Amino acid sequence: MSTLEARLLNAHMHRDRAALVALYQEAADSAAPAARAFFLTQAYVYALETGHADADALRARLVAMGCEPA
Amino acid sequence: MTQSDLDPVRRPISTAHGLPNAHYTDATVFEEERDAVLAAEWAGLGVAADVPAPGDAQPLDFLGMPLLLLRDKAGVVRVFHNICRHRGMILVDAPRKIEGALRCPYHSWCYSTEGRLVSTPHVGGPGQNTAVGIERDQLGLLEVRSHIWMGVVWINLSGDAAPFDAHHADLIARWAEFDAPLYHGGADSTFTLDVACNWKLAVENYCESYHLPWVHPGLNSYSRLEDHYHIEAADRYSGQGTHVYRQLTAPDGQTFRDFAGLSSKWDTAAEYIAAYPNVLLGVHRDHAFAIVLTPKGPDRTQEQIHLFYPDPDTDANLRARNTAQWKVVFEEDIFVVEGMQRGRHAPAFDGGRFSPAMDGPTHMFHAWVAARVQHHRTPVHAAE
Repeated sequence: MSTLEARLLNAHMHRDRAALVALYQEAADSAAPAARAFFLTQAYVYALETGHADADALRARLVAMGCEPA
Repeated sequence: MTQSDLDPVRRPISTAHGLPNAHYTDATVFEEERDAVLAAEWAGLGVAADVPAPGDAQPLDFLGMPLLLLRDKAGVVRVFHNICRHRGMILVDAPRKIEGALRCPYHSWCYSTEGRLVSTPHVGGPGQNTAVGIERDQLGLLEVRSHIWMGVVWINLSGDAAPFDAHHADLIARWAEFDAPLYHGGADSTFTLDVACNWKLAVENYCESYHLPWVHPGLNSYSRLEDHYHIEAADRYSGQGTHVYRQLTAPDGQTFRDFAGLSSKWDTAAEYIAAYPNVLLGVHRDHAFAIVLTPKGPDRTQEQIHLFYPDPDTDANLRARNTAQWKVVFEEDIFVVEGMQRGRHAPAFDGGRFSPAMDGPTHMFHAWVAARVQHHRTPVHAAE
């Protein structure tokens, strides 16, 4: 199990949504292009839920990738 | 089931009978009244003070329906069906603060606090958040018509009642002098009574002053039966008033501040009105209260009592005394409403008869329920 996977599981276990926003972005940035939108979406949803400051930037990335309506 | 005969209920009071037993004991009639009386009208759900700050959310069960009371980010109190538009999952299962968006715990569809669907993750496949046929602007939370008045959140589940302000124009005008900010007294100014009776018995008992000398003997010392008057507005509300309200006064002489600008009538007057179907209201020069009746079944009712003041900074000790004083009064009523409920299992009971002089407000409520149920039973309405 990679360190990132372990940290993600730990964040899920503790419902640490701020950590989930950061960790899924980290996963997106290190993922193959085909998987990137999945991880960005995960980060975006937790950012939306928590009113996280990164929500707008994450949405913009997804819109640019054609994965979220403009 | 044979439908109950409601014609005798709608006769003039001197010959009328009360609602038949089935209206208090029968599960099928309970459901009929749920649709005909509670869902079709403006019913009380709770109080706006239950969600004091933007983002506050409180799930509620009303007539078996999962509802969500929510104060949106702009401060507007809204009521939604507490379900996701995707798979019908319950969205919020305990009171909490919505920090950003409301995320369904199942597949994470997200809604703004105004009810807009703002995210549908992976709906078009992994990482693809749109899909043909998933129109976000058509899939917002299902909102229930709501209105705030006297601190109470009123809802019209059927969606087709007249606007609240029009429906209750007469009552709003009657109490226009209390059209001022009402401040909920907080945690020490609310309590709940779970009562083993049909919700209508609580209304019926509240409407009339006939029982006061017998059930509330403590009031006799200053508030005699002849000091009270009936309040009757057919099809809307009924209740009673008193000419001899006496302010609560602490040992040191302290009283609550009055509502600003009241006419002299209110120096000693107080009024107690049942706003049909399920909200019991009281106004006095220095405080108001609301009792929201939540029917839990044919023979179970939850009474939520809330006290309000004209100013946000009232004395905690005086508030506690006021709450305790009203709690005694409302608890004194429990044995009669529960006793009448048990009495509804006597097959020979014919709905009872009314005192033409003293039971007018109660008969008015019975007649209104009967009319609404009869309307609901008409073939044209049933076809709708």
